[in-house]
Amino acid sequence: MLKIVYFGKTSFALEYNETTILLNPGKWDGESVVPDDFNARVVIATNQSDDAVGNAATIAVNSKAWFLGNQGTVDKVSEQGAKPWLLHVLQPEVPYEIPDVKITPYSLSRIDEVEGGRIENLGLYIEIGEMKVGYLGDSVLRGPFEQFDMDVLIVPVGGDGVFPVKDAVSLCIDAQPRVGIPMRWSSIDDPLKFSKYVQQFGQGTVPVVMAPNQVLEVSWAAGNEFRYELN
Amino acid sequence: MSERKKVVIDLEESEKVELGELSELTSVDTSGVLSVNNVSERSRIWNVKVLLGDTRDSTDIGDDTLAAGEIDVGGKWETNYGVAVGAPILTFKEVFDTCGTIETEKPHWAYVRGEENPVKITLTVTNETDGELDSIILNKTIPNDLSNIEIASVKSGVAEYDEGTRQVVWKDFVIYPHEDSSLVITATGLVEDTEPRNAGGVVITYRGDGQQRSVLDPDLNALTEFLTGIETAETEPNTWECTLECSNESDLIVRLDKAEVYLTPEDGGEKQKMIEDTPGIEMEPDQEWTSSFEVESKSTPKCTQDLAYTPVRTITKRVLGHIEKTAQEIPVYSIDYSKTFDPPSVSSFDKTPVEVTIEVTNNGSAGLNEITIEDNLPDDVMPPTSEHITVWIRGKEYTGPYEFLIDPEDQDPETPHKMTFRVEGLRNSGGEIEPGESFKINYAVMAWRNRPEKEYPSPITCTANTEPAGIPAVVASSEDGHKLGVNYKKRAISTKKAINKGAGAGEYIVVLVVANNGEVTAENIQVSDWIPAGFEYVSTDPEDEAPEVLAVDNGSNMVWSWTRMNPGDKKKIRVTVQGDGEYERREPEVSSI
Repeated sequence: MLKIVYFGKTSFALEYNETTILLNPGKWDGESVVPDDFNARVVIATNQSDDAVGNAATIAVNSKAWFLGNQGTVDKVSEQGAKPWLLHVLQPEVPYEIPDVKITPYSLSRIDEVEGGRIENLGLYIEIGEMKVGYLGDSVLRGPFEQFDMDVLIVPVGGDGVFPVKDAVSLCIDAQPRVGIPMRWSSIDDPLKFSKYVQQFGQGTVPVVMAPNQVLEVSWAAGNEFRYELN
Repeated sequence: MSERKKVVIDLEESEKVELGELSELTSVDTSGVLSVNNVSERSRIWNVKVLLGDTRDSTDIGDDTLAAGEIDVGGKWETNYGVAVGAPILTFKEVFDTCGTIETEKPHWAYVRGEENPVKITLTVTNETDGELDSIILNKTIPNDLSNIEIASVKSGVAEYDEGTRQVVWKDFVIYPHEDSSLVITATGLVEDTEPRNAGGVVITYRGDGQQRSVLDPDLNALTEFLTGIETAETEPNTWECTLECSNESDLIVRLDKAEVYLTPEDGGEKQKMIEDTPGIEMEPDQEWTSSFEVESKSTPKCTQDLAYTPVRTITKRVLGHIEKTAQEIPVYSIDYSKTFDPPSVSSFDKTPVEVTIEVTNNGSAGLNEITIEDNLPDDVMPPTSEHITVWIRGKEYTGPYEFLIDPEDQDPETPHKMTFRVEGLRNSGGEIEPGESFKINYAVMAWRNRPEKEYPSPITCTANTEPAGIPAVVASSEDGHKLGVNYKKRAISTKKAINKGAGAGEYIVVLVVANNGEVTAENIQVSDWIPAGFEYVSTDPEDEAPEVLAVDNGSNMVWSWTRMNPGDKKKIRVTVQGDGEYERREPEVSSI
């Protein structure tokens, strides 16, 4: 069974057996979303912005976790004190594997609303246990994700340099994951609209709107029946 | 033979009735005049007393007996009184049906704006008494909003419409006891604004001879010129015949009710009643009446008399009625609507959820019982599912029953759909939609890869009706109204090709770079590149971009298919081919939507 823990914004932890993968422990308005003492085995930031990297270096150091990101992100975390021997640069479409987990990054991008232009953001295709999870991070592009077979797809909906609701919904319609989870909303209406539209037009995808500290448990019962429960 | 004259007691009672807009009784005010008329040409009557007894109880008369005093020849004494009644003797009902061509249990009560309303007015009068009612005259005012006035039917009497006064006058008929009569008028009502209209008042007058509203049953006591006396005549010695003689000296009929004669004994003692008669006869003018007895007496008998007589009375009575019905107020039903798309336009070749909000507002003056919205979705739009439609009434979310139909019953975005929303029976559920209130629905559709050169009209028709339903109020867009805007986003799929020599003899590396340089996602991209005859496909880098290779007459074609390329996406493919001869260059072909 895979546990998906939501911290708020774009921060999630995927827990399977003894392995915990922390995604985008960002800082928002100077505040960390994930506590410094969170224990993870792998920490990943999909881009080098503060709202993605946040206190990743501190968490990685405290929990002696691997930190994964693109070159710019790894450089930034290194400057923040992460141990060099725990850093790993992700290359697009080159899988990173540990027992029970295979992470394949894809080069996407987000809009830099401060400097203008685009900055690279990695979309992650995570095979963990028997589950296949798509995590787009802070992306404004869908890349190849519409072609992937995904049990869970986690997509931004805020429209602030990332997907607006319509593109998140559109990707769910095309990719047809079993569960679609919105993140990084600008307004409380965003996840509600996402949920409403996916329910109507998703053709099999179930929208699950998570509140901070909620846990979604997903599993394959008897190997062929997909189950989920939001706690 | 001369006329037999009797004193006339006359009861003339009047009832003044007011009816409300729907013919409901709002007041009935009944009063009467009781008069005593001395019809004599030469005889006064005096000490006149009108005897009412218990029959005065239905009136406001305070005494059982009314003293009328002296009434001279041809004179009259009268008194007024009030009567308490619950209902008039003639009842009236007006049914003003604004849509007489549709049969319903209850009449239609409002005009629809801007349409020809087939008005049917039914006027019914009913005699509630055991006697006939006549001299009935009914005046119905026809309002200016009505035209084509026709008398459709009249059960009795004559009814005519006067164009000059705009009055229908119905008269010359009698209504027998407990029967009714009716008049039906048809007209066309046309109103162009929403101010409530006046349906025209009704005034009825009628007369019921021999009828009365009170239960007064008056009688009369009076004196008039009447001669009486006792003649004593000795018929034998000491035997006397005593005769009471009465004579009506007036020209009125007088009734003699009592005649008594008492004899005083010679030796004193109590008087003896010698005549005790109650003749009860009505004496004609100058008619005499006598009664006698014999008595022995040495002296002339001493007799006294006690008489009771009165002029005979007759009673006449009638009821005069007046009914005034207040004009019914006829409201007007009318609707307006708004329809919005949010966003109002979508990017071409994209999938965009669009919120559709339709608000139907009651801008008339009548409450609405049902509203229907027919909304048409063009193709390239995925329609909503019923569970995701939100409805508000009066600004509050409505959770009551409503009907939703979609044709065809699917979510196929390639087919136009017609959706129907209907809410009805509001009067008996949450209440009618009153003037100024609105019915609003919201739902989402998914704009589905809309093409910039195409138009996407989404016309709408809204209807509303009252309870009972008549001609619907309709407001509709034009057939090409409410177009969903499509923002043209440039598509630009770029293909570049290079042919480089490979490592071995006859080996070439064909490099293809396919990029989406446009502003919109491209879908179903297909790129094909030709391999000349004499050469064969060997491999592709990256491997997962291997093409489908199809043999053609002069070589083979490599075909790549991608479902989607986002703006900025780029694919670089290196294909190794091997063969003999000259590797002719042809440009790759690309297609997409």
